[in-house]
Amino acid sequence: MDKGNSAAMSSSSPVRAMVGASIVASGITKVYGHGTNAALHALGPMGLNVKPGEFVSLIGPSGCGKSTTLLLVSGLESVTEGKIEFDGQILRKPISDVGIVFQDHLLLDFRTALKNVMLQQEIRGLDAAELRARADMLFDRLGIAGSEGRYPRQLSGGMRQRVSIARALVHDPSMLLMDEPFGALDAITRTQSRHDLEMLWMETQKTVLFITHSIEEAVGLSDRVLVMSKSPGMIVEEIKIDLPRPRPAHLGEYPEFAQYAERIYQIFAKLGVYKF
Amino acid sequence: MVRQIAFGYGQSAIIGLAAVGALLGLWEVLADWYDVPTWLFPKPSDFLGRLGADWLMIAGHAMATSITILQGFALGVLVSVPLAYAIVSIPALERGLYPVIVFLNIMPKTVIGPILIIWFGIGPLISALIVFLMCFFPILVDAMHGFKHVDPRLFYISRSMGATNWQGFWKFRLPAAMPAIFSGMKIGIVKAVEGVIIAEFIASDAGLGFMIMQASAFMDVSLMFAGLIAAALVALVFNSAMSIFEKVLMPWSGRGH
Repeated sequence: MDKGNSAAMSSSSPVRAMVGASIVASGITKVYGHGTNAALHALGPMGLNVKPGEFVSLIGPSGCGKSTTLLLVSGLESVTEGKIEFDGQILRKPISDVGIVFQDHLLLDFRTALKNVMLQQEIRGLDAAELRARADMLFDRLGIAGSEGRYPRQLSGGMRQRVSIARALVHDPSMLLMDEPFGALDAITRTQSRHDLEMLWMETQKTVLFITHSIEEAVGLSDRVLVMSKSPGMIVEEIKIDLPRPRPAHLGEYPEFAQYAERIYQIFAKLGVYKF
Repeated sequence: MVRQIAFGYGQSAIIGLAAVGALLGLWEVLADWYDVPTWLFPKPSDFLGRLGADWLMIAGHAMATSITILQGFALGVLVSVPLAYAIVSIPALERGLYPVIVFLNIMPKTVIGPILIIWFGIGPLISALIVFLMCFFPILVDAMHGFKHVDPRLFYISRSMGATNWQGFWKFRLPAAMPAIFSGMKIGIVKAVEGVIIAEFIASDAGLGFMIMQASAFMDVSLMFAGLIAAALVALVFNSAMSIFEKVLMPWSGRGH
């Protein structure tokens, strides 16, 4: 069966996607508000092409429209111009075959860690036992086993973010959208989280669109890094990261890492992101 | 840590009780010393004795008062929480209806009492209506605040899950607004126990307020003091019930470790 069709099916379909979904976006533009003065041209026109199972990072300065791109790709915001195809189907409404992680964990205070994750099952009406087993697996894999019964307030920032990642994956979506998921974490937790995410991704082969400020994170995780310009954002450079996986905690082990990082710095310098 | 807190509570309760005891003792001794007449300013032994002697009658009125509080407060919650959601969801209501509600709230609600008496006559139900008017507004305002200040990205999450509006309300928005609704309810219950006595002064034929008013007519000052204490106890019970209710309903709102 054609993979594209199965992934485009609704998430409650028993036929689950084996590999991630694809995104093909062309000429997408986002303008918030109306009128010449009030309107905010946030993004584009921009093209984006993410292959099934690929790990792609969007990197760029604050306010360049990275988050907007994520909202457009998920169908949560509509494009002003252009079109987006999710697994070959034109996007018209929010896609549910997706998991989203924001910089803030956005867990519900009033639910325990496990119940936050199982919200996916409740809302989608999926099989409780099956999802529970997946939740257990994810808690284990993400190193948060034992905190199922705790409320978000009783967890550290890093643990909350892991619960939020588990919530985004428990229903086995074909795509993971992450908006600076490790941005608020300390350096050590961030490095560990990066590694755990990479291992999960290698295992599940989901498509990941990962938004970040961090060159280290982008190079450390991605198959491809897309560098965006300042507002209105556009992709100005595409860098293929050819490093073996899993990548180490200390990326400096690879001489290539320094070269990739240097290239991104150069682009930022050219764009005027840094003013020294 | 838990034991420390428990010990702290126990300790402050003992200190509090000792202070009240000392105050009552001093009152008793001074009133006795200066021979203050009971009909003017009763001694603790007078009104505490009265509380014991007439406890059945006083308990009956206290029960009536409690029922009135419950009715008025329940009505307040049942009206203001859905109304708050409607006002927050429909911008026209916020612009049109909300200013009217604010204006109505400025009016002294005890004045509405006599009007209600003309319309409906005297009885505990009128008191309940006044209690409702008293506690309605703080609950409305806090519930509106709660519904409004839910992180909008939470709706992104719920929509990406394919949640219906109904699920969005029950699973995300209402629980997220609960702490704010509760803080409104806590103010509301204080207003309710405050208001109920006044409401019973003017518009009831039962309850502690009515009993105190009657005692006043007969210059029965020690019964008035006994009524005051009973009213304070009723307020204490309702406030504590509210705190316990909050802890049971929202275990997450307490601090963790």
